[in-house]
Amino acid sequence: MVKQKSLLQKTLLLYLPLVAIMLFLLFPFYWTFITSIKPESELYGSVVTYWPENITFTAYQKLFGEFNFLLPMFNSFSVATITTIVTLTVSTLAAYAFTRFEFLGKKIFMGLFLTNNMFPNVLLLIPLFAIMRSLNLLYTPISLVIAYATFTIPFSVWMLTGYLKDLPSSLEEAAMIDGANRAKAFVKVILPVLMPSIIATGVYIFIQSWNEYTFAVLFTNEETRTIPVTLKNLIGQLGVQWDLLTAGGIITIIPVCIIFFFAQRKLIEGMTAGSVKG
Amino acid sequence: MKKITSLLVLFILSMVLMACTASINSSEGTTTDEDNSNESDSDGEVTLNYWYWADNSEYSQLMQDIITEFNETNDKGITVVGEEYPWDGGGYSDTLFTAAMGGGGPDVAAFKLTATPLFTANNLLVNLDQFINDWEDKDDIEENLYDVMRDASGTDSIYVMPWNTQILYVYYRPSIFEEAGIEVPTTYEEFLKAVEKTTMDTDGDGTTDIYGFGMRGATGGHEPWGSFIYARGGNFEDLSSEEAKQGMQDFVDLYSGGFVPPTATTDGFNEIIANFKSGRTAMTIHHTGSAAEMIETFGEDVSAFPFPGGEGQWTSMGDTNNVIFESTEHKEAAFEWVSYLATGKGQEDWNVATGNVPVSKTVQELDFFQDDDFMRVSIESMPYAGIVPIKDTTTEWINVAWPNTISSALLGDQSVEEAMDSLQKALNEK
Amino acid sequence: MIRKKFNIWPYLLIAPALLIVTFVVFLPVIEAIFMSFQQYDLRRPDQIAYIGFMNFAEMFSDPVFWQALKNTVIWVVFGVGLQFVFGFLLALLLNQQFKGRGVVRAVSLIPWATPGVLIGLMWKWIYDGSYGVLNDLLMKLGLIDQPIIFLSQTSTAFGSVIVTIIWQGIPFFAIMILAGLQAISTEMYEAADIDGATRLQKLWRITIPSLKNVIFITILLRVIWVANSVDIIHNMTGGGPSYSTQTLSVYIFNKATVLDLGYSSSMALFLMLMLAIVAIPYLRNSFKER
Repeated sequence: MVKQKSLLQKTLLLYLPLVAIMLFLLFPFYWTFITSIKPESELYGSVVTYWPENITFTAYQKLFGEFNFLLPMFNSFSVATITTIVTLTVSTLAAYAFTRFEFLGKKIFMGLFLTNNMFPNVLLLIPLFAIMRSLNLLYTPISLVIAYATFTIPFSVWMLTGYLKDLPSSLEEAAMIDGANRAKAFVKVILPVLMPSIIATGVYIFIQSWNEYTFAVLFTNEETRTIPVTLKNLIGQLGVQWDLLTAGGIITIIPVCIIFFFAQRKLIEGMTAGSVKG
Repeated sequence: MKKITSLLVLFILSMVLMACTASINSSEGTTTDEDNSNESDSDGEVTLNYWYWADNSEYSQLMQDIITEFNETNDKGITVVGEEYPWDGGGYSDTLFTAAMGGGGPDVAAFKLTATPLFTANNLLVNLDQFINDWEDKDDIEENLYDVMRDASGTDSIYVMPWNTQILYVYYRPSIFEEAGIEVPTTYEEFLKAVEKTTMDTDGDGTTDIYGFGMRGATGGHEPWGSFIYARGGNFEDLSSEEAKQGMQDFVDLYSGGFVPPTATTDGFNEIIANFKSGRTAMTIHHTGSAAEMIETFGEDVSAFPFPGGEGQWTSMGDTNNVIFESTEHKEAAFEWVSYLATGKGQEDWNVATGNVPVSKTVQELDFFQDDDFMRVSIESMPYAGIVPIKDTTTEWINVAWPNTISSALLGDQSVEEAMDSLQKALNEK
Repeated sequence: MIRKKFNIWPYLLIAPALLIVTFVVFLPVIEAIFMSFQQYDLRRPDQIAYIGFMNFAEMFSDPVFWQALKNTVIWVVFGVGLQFVFGFLLALLLNQQFKGRGVVRAVSLIPWATPGVLIGLMWKWIYDGSYGVLNDLLMKLGLIDQPIIFLSQTSTAFGSVIVTIIWQGIPFFAIMILAGLQAISTEMYEAADIDGATRLQKLWRITIPSLKNVIFITILLRVIWVANSVDIIHNMTGGGPSYSTQTLSVYIFNKATVLDLGYSSSMALFLMLMLAIVAIPYLRNSFKER
């Protein structure tokens, strides 16, 4: 079906809309990058420059030199990774239960998960802080993992439930007739087909924990600070340190994109795996 | 099967990791929480946790340096551990409050006066009366500053230790004044005229290129705005008075007359400074905190004058202070530290580097502060500098009621009368 | 689907997820619900007392509340609606074969990966009435001859922040739907090709029905998320000018940060009920299916 497409058709239906959307999505990023390498005098000049007349990379040098930006990056990375693994594991199990079993209280449990995310967390801060303190978790990465998992699990359970519902259950039933038990059928049949969805959900969890500020500012100290808090430290009463802030932003975004670049290959792997089985 | 096994292994690993860090931390946690106090009782070693925000990365380094010096030089075995928290447009106070209410938080923290009623109402702060009475440097700080601290708490006691202040004045560009053929205004009427005169279309294309005044309509703009209200004889206690309304009318007229940038409704600190530095505005109101960058941008072509008086005269005194938390085990040590910042070496180091107005009279006398033009204007403005009345409604009034009401009045959605009546209600009634 | 007698397995499977979630938020949420029936203003801790439905009565006579509610509806409908439309479109595009697809997929994630702190500031900067690049572009293109003060006037401020949330949410839908697309077997499309189905027919007859649950759930979750989101508006306009960009969640945030917890809890409870009303028919439908 791909072969028959003429170039014109492909331009109209693929490249044109793709370029339009990507322009919209990427322009602010481009602008962030430009700002990070502009000297301040050019920032507020009377003429808007689309490429800096004098390029300067001092902001990046400062971030890694004076600032030790690697520490918050490492902290954010470990918190986000652990949260992603924990959340994905428990959520996949729960989602499987919700789609493949009929049991008492199912609706109540699903509703409970949903309402969890409906309540603004700014109202929960004082008690949450007290809980973390009494558990002696304050200022450790664990406190953030727990706090983030609390808000990503409900979402992930629902997401994965949606994907699992869209998978025809005939897939595993066939495998089970062939003599495989439930666990084996899940691992051999469901998991490969579900992989793209697990990855997409994983991306959500990772980004959510990578960028979170409200809990991070309360549950971390100098040693365990994550990226958003460090970035926000660059905005004082005397204005925004645009160069450092935008450079920090660029450094924050790039690892996520690289990770996703490798992860998205799995999206295709999942597809082929699925079509072989199905 | 491989996938699920590896996933399981990862999961177990992370759980183990979590457990480990938790246990490590819990031992650490006890060191910071309780061991200190035991130690302090026995051999006088004290560790104080200090929270502060930094307005830029140089200040952050500066604070760390001051802390290091204090730790090395104090003879009482006090070690201060500084933790920087984001200013976050005032969110700093919320973070501090949440932590303190949740049973955590620091021993000592940098503090804004507006938050005082909230913290004292919840009994979080140490009453400093006794400490200050017994303090040798007590008289190095102006008595009226202590009064301001007392007023803020709504009691007869002092809960907040002065550290530094910022007095607002008017920055202007001598070259633009010259071009407009005007002198530095000495009365409020002249000031309003000057704003009109310095609004210019320099290239003759029919659009304004230089606005007379960089007006701040976003959060924080109530400070310069207060000067307009007082210049007409109004005050914060009765914002619905005729005089106050007249001041507000002037403010609105500047906007509708096109003498300030059209973005004024949402311009905050960043925008008014950027507009001034790029030459888009001829005057704006701020304090010495931005003097260094102004000089860097303009050299000789920037100067300052105190906000002129009319029926009355007022300018805003900003403040940065320190507080000691009731939960600390080491009140004496904590007072050592805050007094080091108020009158000791910390006072001098901090204010010389940041250009804030010192609270210590001895430090004010230093040549550095006497010779600086902008500092001189600040000190000149001091006699009529004041603060917004600090009530439990003040924070909300500053952050929400003021910017929204002002922008709707500027945009003509609300009349001056309505706006002032609702501002009066939000601040003074409830 | 198995319908036997009592089966312990499903409970065991959901237990870990449930434990983590309830362990952390259960008590704080209950506490907040109780607060909504109290005069609970930490600025006046000595006046804390149960006042029944007084907070709700105050809420319904508060004009700022009604404006915030109206803004919330607009915010959610346009915000989520357009995120979905463009995200779906992007997913379809990214699912096709073309050179450099992997890179395009990876960079399309950027808006979503951008820290919230930066999103608000950058967009504010782009919209700036004096130095903003958007005004410069529009003027260079000859579309306007005076800069538009996007965020500084009530007529354009809300639209501008909505564009920002759309920008941020497109990749979310794109990635989630792209993942769902992978599970549709190619055989169905091949069969449709043999029947001579057009592109649009395949979209309506195969793609959308196969993704029904994913679409429902992503929209539902996104509605909840967007309705509760604060940081973009907070960083761009703080709810102003003249409350024109203040949604209910921002109002709750503003009231909560000045520690009027009773009033903000009752508004939060109200928002939760509204979301539940939206969600329930959704849930019913999705459970009936199978």
